Amino acid sequence: MLTGMQRYLHHHRAKWVGFAFILPWILSALWFDLIPFVTNLYLSFTDYSVSTSTPDWLGIENYREILELDPLFTKSLGNTVYYLVLGVPIRLVVAFAIAVLLNLRIHALGTFRTIFYIPSVVPLVAVSIIFFGMFNARYGIFNQLLILLDLPPVRWLTRPEWIKPAMIIMSTWGFGAQMVIFLAGLQGIPSELYEAAEMDGGSYWHQLFRITIPMVSPVIFFNLIIGIIGGFQVFASAYVLLGSGGGPLNAGLFYVLHIYNNAFSYFRLGYAAALSVVLFLIILFFTVIMVRTSDRWVYYGDA
Amino acid sequence: MDRKLTRRSFLKVAGVSATTLAVAACAPPSPAAAPAEGDMAEGAPSAERVEIEFMNWWGSHREALMDEAIANFHDMNSDVQVNNSVQPWDGRAERAATAVASNNPPALIMTQRVETYQFAHENLILPIDDYVQASGIDPDAIFYAGEINNQRWQGQLYSFPLPTGGGNTGQYFYNKTVLAEAGLDPETPVATWQELTEASRAITQKDDLGVTVMGANLGGGAFGFGRWLYCNAGQFVSDDARTIMFGSAEGVETLEWMVDFTNEINGGIDNANEFFAGTSDTSADHPYYNEKLGFLFTGVWQFGHLQATDPDMWADTSTWGVGQMPYNSNNADAAHAGVAGLAGSWGYVIPVATPQDQADAAYQWLEFFGTHEQGGCLFLFNQGRPSPVAQCNENPAYYDDNPYWSTVLKSLASDVSVAVTPVQARINDVVGTIVDEAYFGQHSPADALAKGVEESQRILDEFWAG
Repeated sequence: MLTGMQRYLHHHRAKWVGFAFILPWILSALWFDLIPFVTNLYLSFTDYSVSTSTPDWLGIENYREILELDPLFTKSLGNTVYYLVLGVPIRLVVAFAIAVLLNLRIHALGTFRTIFYIPSVVPLVAVSIIFFGMFNARYGIFNQLLILLDLPPVRWLTRPEWIKPAMIIMSTWGFGAQMVIFLAGLQGIPSELYEAAEMDGGSYWHQLFRITIPMVSPVIFFNLIIGIIGGFQVFASAYVLLGSGGGPLNAGLFYVLHIYNNAFSYFRLGYAAALSVVLFLIILFFTVIMVRTSDRWVYYGDA
Repeated sequence: MDRKLTRRSFLKVAGVSATTLAVAACAPPSPAAAPAEGDMAEGAPSAERVEIEFMNWWGSHREALMDEAIANFHDMNSDVQVNNSVQPWDGRAERAATAVASNNPPALIMTQRVETYQFAHENLILPIDDYVQASGIDPDAIFYAGEINNQRWQGQLYSFPLPTGGGNTGQYFYNKTVLAEAGLDPETPVATWQELTEASRAITQKDDLGVTVMGANLGGGAFGFGRWLYCNAGQFVSDDARTIMFGSAEGVETLEWMVDFTNEINGGIDNANEFFAGTSDTSADHPYYNEKLGFLFTGVWQFGHLQATDPDMWADTSTWGVGQMPYNSNNADAAHAGVAGLAGSWGYVIPVATPQDQADAAYQWLEFFGTHEQGGCLFLFNQGRPSPVAQCNENPAYYDDNPYWSTVLKSLASDVSVAVTPVQARINDVVGTIVDEAYFGQHSPADALAKGVEESQRILDEFWAG
């Protein structure tokens, strides 16, 4: 004879099993996302440092300092926006262009796909060290190429005006992940569309702009959002190449470096928490704008 | 009653579980183990051997030397086991911060002076005055004044110094081969800014891509500016650490000289920085080891780096020399000077969460390492570096290895202890930015300094008001 509890478990077994399967994700989301997020939000209103004692409540003082007194807030945000505005589109275009090429029926396609994807799995620190050598004004490959082309060499990492372009070049190198997503999107386009266009006399460029790009617009949208979020969070490459100060005149001081400095050089963890909340709001703002405007340029088929 | 399991109730259960775990994990550490007077580690030996973790950044060839010092300690102190926990340099600051604030910290953590002050200000580390008193030693009689004072915050002592933070800038290194090739007398080191300028002009060579042989790089940042400021009778901050003073006439003159020198001799700060790109004074391709750099302004750690990176050069003392920091001969008040404690000035701190027996053992090791001839003295001697313990530097063997040892001792004597506060890291970054602005011509040196003074003073006022 079944007890009440056994009956309960028996009736709801499927539901419990389902919830048990997602429990690890739920717990990790609470533990690693929600609790840190709420804690960070609370700390952003305090003077929390590394001290284990309870921090003092400051109200909006940290936010006021960010907006009124911190010259490096605008500097680091400006650097990050520059990096985003130029870097994200360039990376998207390169990833898309290479994906289109790799979608052609050519010999040794798998080898080419592997070659183009490999850079994106190389650890960022290793990539940064390699690029450090490539950006060397005297021996680096970039300047050797410029000299071959009769162009003046560039001080990539020691002139403030060239630091962000150098960082963008480096970030473009890791386009592999986006390329793979584009490639998946391209392979999902029905071939009938191209056949119909060919029968109607549509050129390659017509097919590219009238079929390919609209059909992969959801993928472009996805890559764009991921690129923007990743761009706002750029840190490791700048830290390795330029140090926590971001190089001369703070030209490579990106927003997350500024957060890092406040947290771990100055131990102003409350202030760093406020900076990260502001970053969260900025990313949220751009993401919402992108999502809200997506129905104007993203094609979801019959939807 | 047959209760349904809803999504909401499930999430509630999961949330409560996670919160409980979080609260448990974030529980405050046990109360600080303040040392009781007389409760000294050097007292009666305890029944059990106490094991402590010594967290430090003495990696590379120094690790074996540290192990040797620890072994010497173990020979004399059978009741304490010191585990040498060498950490990677990357992420050093956050490692130190999280370790010192954790519930189960290493018993002794190597920190820079400003970090020590930050942790002391937050009551995260133990003052060692009671231990010192119980031990009966007199730190002021043992250490150079500038060195031991760098480890004091608000009248309390938190560590013994090691290595010599105060010897950071009092001397410079020069490459005699480079000087000879430029037609200069390699046996007469430059003594003034004016001599340095002329010598660098004679040495420096450039091509289309920049500098190929450099006389000197004056450096940047708060540290670079600070060391030249003190060689022009200037002062970074008032002795009570409440008033920023680097915007003085001496400060303006110093920064103007740095900018003019860099533009005229090296062709601009980007030229100078590019010359050193990708190298460090521990890499064999550094210009100094390759007869491409005349004067190297660095700290006393350079003795160890020279020894380890280019042993042949270290052994051939006719190829390198040591001089005292050049000063501005146009300023009658200026003289050779070094800056102590503006950066670096390492010490070793005991976190408050350290259990009492481990804190006692940590002090026991700290005192040995800081003061004993078989501890820090030997550790630094083996690297050719001076000790913050004046008596250790009298070891005649130093003179055998280093014919310039008397210059090193003179430079230690010329060091000036700079007053700093826990917000010095922020001030240093402000100064770094305005020095860059002057170098890149965004502001005149006077305007850049005025801007830096305003911002730094605001940070300092905010700290003292807080």
